[in-house]
Amino acid sequence: MSLGPGGAIAGLVVWGTVVGVDLVSFPQGLLSRPLIVGAGAGMLLGNLEAGLRVGLLLELFALDVLPVGAARYPDYGAGTVGAVLLSTAGPWEQTLGLATLFALGFAVLGGVTLQWLRRSNGLALQRNAAGLAAGDAATVARLQFRGLAGDLFRSAMLSGAAVAAAQFLHARVPLSDRAVLVTAVAIGAGVAAAASGALRGAGRGARLRWLAVGVGIGLIAALLR
Amino acid sequence: MTTGFVRASLRLLGVQASWNYERMTGLGMGYAAEPLLEDLKSADPARHAEAQVRSAEYFNSHPYLAGLALGALARAEYDLVPGSQIGRLRTALTSPLGALGDQLFWAGLVPATMGAAIVAVVYGAGGWALLVALFIYNLCRMGTAVWALRTGLEHGAKVGTAIGASWLPPAAQRIGLLAGLLVGVALPLSAAWLLQSEGAWELPVVAGTVTLGLIAAWSLGPRVNAVRFGLAVIGLAALLAWGLP
Repeated sequence: MSLGPGGAIAGLVVWGTVVGVDLVSFPQGLLSRPLIVGAGAGMLLGNLEAGLRVGLLLELFALDVLPVGAARYPDYGAGTVGAVLLSTAGPWEQTLGLATLFALGFAVLGGVTLQWLRRSNGLALQRNAAGLAAGDAATVARLQFRGLAGDLFRSAMLSGAAVAAAQFLHARVPLSDRAVLVTAVAIGAGVAAAASGALRGAGRGARLRWLAVGVGIGLIAALLR
Repeated sequence: MTTGFVRASLRLLGVQASWNYERMTGLGMGYAAEPLLEDLKSADPARHAEAQVRSAEYFNSHPYLAGLALGALARAEYDLVPGSQIGRLRTALTSPLGALGDQLFWAGLVPATMGAAIVAVVYGAGGWALLVALFIYNLCRMGTAVWALRTGLEHGAKVGTAIGASWLPPAAQRIGLLAGLLVGVALPLSAAWLLQSEGAWELPVVAGTVTLGLIAAWSLGPRVNAVRFGLAVIGLAALLAWGLP
């Protein structure tokens, strides 16, 4: 599925917005995982392969993170969308590393905007303290929709910025054999991130043994491919 | 309460939409509680007003399991449990539901699903595999959410016992093992897939970066998370690649 240049760019911004809202606000249905985001962005650009490659590498980074309650965590959605667009600037061996760097930068920015939104929701809550103290259902509903609209706005702005930045950089990506070094380091960093996350999550009990069995199966499967 | 149940279930999908540091998911809970408390409006208007205030107070748990607390607290209002006791129940449910949900979903089903999806992508299943993964995950997620709200409404203030005797604690254990296995399988396969057309000299670079990352994570702990490490080493590699003559 390819939408043509303008349609694809608009589609990317919309997709980045949808997955941004999915991360925390609604409906938290796993759409915001980098692999899913990357595949969607790749389809919109008519290059599923690029989307899967970028998405898979960023998914390895995301496997390190537990999006637990009040914890501060990165928002990979918009950055992944932009990174897929950026990765189509040349051969993937030369663009994947820079695209990953781009996505990680936007993931941090996305995490910061989430903190802003949460503080803004808190301020709105304080302004409506009287309504809440009176048990006014309309006040609760208004604050709930305000939060949702705020996240929609946050995600749209972040997605727009990521797509605009990626489009700006698209023609300016310094393609050369040296870029392959950056891609190799990005792959290594992604594998290290997923491995350390898996080890930390496994602890010292039965899960560690299952992880070891899995790695063994994976190694054999990789050698057989 | 059937219409209320459906509306509350749908509203729970956005329970974190107004997340803030003061009440965390409290407002989302209050919004989701409103349809469940509707019948109380005509039966006991004074109690209904009090219940509305209580329903939006501080609360935090795993979003998918919030229905357990929501149902239990709504049921407790209909059972005319004293307000102070409802407040204590609300507080008491926060940590266990958070811990169980994190174990079951964030550390269990999410990595298990994504591990399986990565393996499927590596074997060329493409977009369809991701759609299937999304479908199965959301089926589990929605099923759990509906079960949670129903169980909460059924047991009211005794929901703690019901949770302890339910499928949740053993499932959280088992899914963790599956997640370990699937992420383990995905790790070498994804590395091999990403490296399929890399040349001989890049392999030591990848291996060196992996080693460095594991040492950093082991020695520095959570101070070096995935994003910080990635930004540092990829940024450095970019400087080396283009900064050198």
